[in-house]
This record gives sequence, C-alpha cells and structure tokens, in this order.
Amino acid sequence: MSKVSSLADAVASIPSGSHIALSGFATARCVMAFAHEVIRQGTKKLTVSQCVGAIDADILVGAGAAERIIYGGGSRGRSGQHSCLSRGIEQGTLVTEELSSLSMTFRYLAGSLGLPFIPIRSLNGSDILKRLQEITPSPVSTLKDPFTGEDWLVIKPLVPDVAVVQVQVADDEGNAWLLGPRWDNEEQVKASKRAIVITEQLVSTETIRRYPERTLIPGFKVSHVVHLPFSAHPSSVYGVYDFDKEHIKLYAEASKTPKGFQEYLDKYVYGVKDHWGYLEKVGGMKYLNNLLADPILGY
Amino acid sequence: MTELEYAPFELMAVAGARELKNGEIVCVGLGLPIVASFLAKRTHAPNITILLELGVVDPEPIEVGVDGLSDPRIWYRAKAHTSFADTLGSVLHKGLVDVGFLGALEVDAYGNLNTTLLGDPKGKYRRFTGSGGGNDIASCARRTVITIRHEARKLNEAVSFITSPGYLHGGDERGKSGLMGAPSRVITDKAIFDFDPQSKRMRLMSIHPNTTLEDVLSNMNFKPVIPDELPITEPPTAEQIRLIREEIDPEKAYAGS
Repeated sequence: MSKVSSLADAVASIPSGSHIALSGFATARCVMAFAHEVIRQGTKKLTVSQCVGAIDADILVGAGAAERIIYGGGSRGRSGQHSCLSRGIEQGTLVTEELSSLSMTFRYLAGSLGLPFIPIRSLNGSDILKRLQEITPSPVSTLKDPFTGEDWLVIKPLVPDVAVVQVQVADDEGNAWLLGPRWDNEEQVKASKRAIVITEQLVSTETIRRYPERTLIPGFKVSHVVHLPFSAHPSSVYGVYDFDKEHIKLYAEASKTPKGFQEYLDKYVYGVKDHWGYLEKVGGMKYLNNLLADPILGY
Repeated sequence: MTELEYAPFELMAVAGARELKNGEIVCVGLGLPIVASFLAKRTHAPNITILLELGVVDPEPIEVGVDGLSDPRIWYRAKAHTSFADTLGSVLHKGLVDVGFLGALEVDAYGNLNTTLLGDPKGKYRRFTGSGGGNDIASCARRTVITIRHEARKLNEAVSFITSPGYLHGGDERGKSGLMGAPSRVITDKAIFDFDPQSKRMRLMSIHPNTTLEDVLSNMNFKPVIPDELPITEPPTAEQIRLIREEIDPEKAYAGS
C-alpha cells in the first residue's frame, strides 16, 4: 500500500501537543522541510526529542512550535551553539529534560524493545542526574541487580508519538535505507508509535527487495512517506548533498537575536508557500547543484 | 642546530598522542583529540581504532572537517558506519574503550568537567553545549584524557556544574558510584597532570619547556599536589610537528581549538 503523501498532509497528521523524535544531529540529516511546514501550519506545544541537538529542533523551539525538549545536549560544532535552544534554556521558557547521547539512546532502545526501564552506568555522580531527579515524575530511579546485588541507575524508556526521519532512499511503503552513520535514528524510529519518512529518493519495492540487508526502517512502522529533494537543506544528507556552510552561517547569525530569527522565519519559512518555494528562495537549482555529493567522498 | 619552534597547541597534541598505546580503542571529539589521535596513528600507534560517537569507526579523512562531528569530511574512509548504540553502547558502555579524550569549559581539582553552563546554575547563567557523549565517555572509558587551556577561570577547586564526572569529591567516591574507569591525565598548554592515588586530587607530572612552576600555579584557582621531582615535558620532535602541519591539520582548522 502506498503511503506516499504530501509534506502538508504528513505534518497535518501530527496534533499539537505530540512528542516527536527528530533525526537530525547538529547539521546532518535534519528534518528541515518538515520543521518549516510544522511552523507554517501552526502546530504548537510539541515535545521534541533527539540524542544530540540539531538545527531542526532549534528552529522548532525558536518559532514557538515546540515548548519542551528531551535531548543529550549538543551544539552545531564549530559554528557555535544552537541559539534558540540556549535562549529557551537560559530564560526558562523551554522545558528541558537533559541527558547524554548514550542515555538518550538507551531510552529509545528500551522504548524499541518494549522494556519498562533500562540500567545504565552513565549520568552517575553528575549534576545532569541531580537535575533529572528534581523532575516530577522523574525519568530516573535506582534498582538492585537481582542477580548480583549491585546498585544500578535505571532510566525510563522514550516512546515518541512520531519519529520523523530524513533518509536517502525509501519505497512507497516506507521501507528505508539510512546511509552513513545513523546515530540514534534506528532506535528512535523503532521506539516510536509510528514514523514519517522524508526521503530524497523514492524507489520501487523491487529495489528494496533486491538489497534487503540495507533496510533499517521497516515499512510497517511508517505512516507517511514524503518524497522531496534537498529536504534536509541546509544540513547534509550523506551521499546525496553536503551541508550548506554559507546558509548555516546565515542561520547562525540570524538566530543570535529574536529579531534576527524572526526575520529569518519571515523570509525563508512564512515568506514561501512550500518547500519548493524555499528551494527557490535559497538560490534554486543553480545554487543547490553545487552542494551535490561526490559518490565516493559522500559529501 | 636551531631550537624547534612549536605552538602550545602542537605540544598538547603531541602529549595527547603519547597517551595512546598501539592497539587501543580511542573515542574522540573534534579538535585537539583528532589531531592527537591521528598523530599517534601515524607514528607509534598505527593499530589504534578511532571511534566518533555518532557511529564512525576508524575514519581516515583526506580533508579537514570544518563543522564538528557531523561534518561528513571526518567520516571518510571509515571501516564502519554505525550508531550510538554500537559505538557508545556495545563498545564504550561494555568497557572496551581504552581512552576517551575530553575538553571542557572548566575542570576542577578532582577532574570533574563542566561543559554545560557558566554562571549560577540556579540563577543567571550562560548555556553551553551540555554533554553529548562527554558524560558517557567520562563514565565508562578506562582512561580519560582531559585537554584544556591553562587559565585560572578554567581550572577551579570545584566546577559550577558536573557534566562529566571525574573523581567527584576525591578519595574512593568515584569507585562507589557505579562508574567505570577514571580520568588519567589533564593536559594544558603549561603542564601535564595526573591524579594522586589516594586523595585523587590533580597532581603535577611535568611542566612544559619555557614555563615555570610559578607560572603554572599562578594561573590556577586551586593548588594541585606537587611532587618532589618535577620533570620538564618532553618537547615534540621535528617529525611530529611536520606531520601536524603538513598532513593532519594543514589548514590549521584544529589549531587553537
């Protein structure tokens, strides 16, 4: 059964107040076209989660679509902090549940296995743990190992309402390949109640069946398949296109102040009808063509 | 022969490289740890395995990564592209990572690291990166090597927020806390420290050439343990400096990070 849908329909399937897991890592495979459409449709009160903060979460928080984040920290790397996330945390307007990369992964992993909790060594002794203990209800507790008697920190699973994942290749059922390093994405998708797949390339199920070992996302978890080129721009999609250094610089600069960020939204999100309008606005095919990846290098 | 000239960053990278033994598994972040690891790999430790937390095993980049771990340039020629559950889970959490390299906004006398915030954690503060994989590495790697600029504001008796645990309050507190491994070195641009076996307080191991003990101590906000004999840090060799400048970081993208 084909689940191919428009981006608008996929976004409309997510009610305000949902918990969405996002596939971005810093400036790689961020669900930017999706985030822009969420902002345009006015979806509110979202909880976003991901292992390492990325520009998809940053723009959703900055635009007021997300009011809560569950993540492991993170920055854009050399191009600086996620300004909207930092502002929200500093001003106390963003409800934050902060862990580490691995503890987030373990929470998704527990969610994917249907486990009630998972023990972990990380976080012990840290102020990250103290802050998690102050949350009501707290996502952390302790337990005695019934076999050895050793005390263990245990953390709660995450079961997002929807995982939104940017992939290179999918068929119309949502069977998808995730090429390059995949950080938390496989566990995110498998932990979630359903997934929306945003794919750069739509292939036949014959192609999926030809390389079954590549299928990391099973179609039966997927509710919508959205086929859009450059849908992670300005972040990178390994093997398809590089990150857009210049546009990320522009976003970094704009998002430093609420005013600059609003001007960015007005131009690139509210100022266009859809993703095709966005692609024209950032420079069109002539510009985007320069970002296409070398097949061997992957960038 | 004229004396070899090198930048503090280069000396730190060389000192970091020396911490790696051939055959070890090392988990690194971007910047100095990358330079140190690739330097070790091209010199005395060709068989180390370099892990990038997001799921990259043993990359051999031919271009310098410019934007962080998410820059695909530093994923190039990896032996495996995998996931957090694999690198930080099946390798690190299982106890197989020999060395983790970490930087920080500040480090304290017991090797605890803050990468989360500067200011008052309960009041007004400036937000920084948080953990990422830092807490996990500090919690599970057999040895953690900390690299940090030698400035008083970065070397404090206690950090304002423990993002990644060192020896906590010292003594045997870490051993009782469910953590594996421990910090083993702090490498600054003025000195190298290890930790006192009993108190677990930072202890001077060596001071760098052209630095004095007074210079080291006057730029710290706590007093480390000072041993009776204090050697000078072994300077880099001409070949190590050549490798850093010509092959590992020719565009000076990491230098100064």
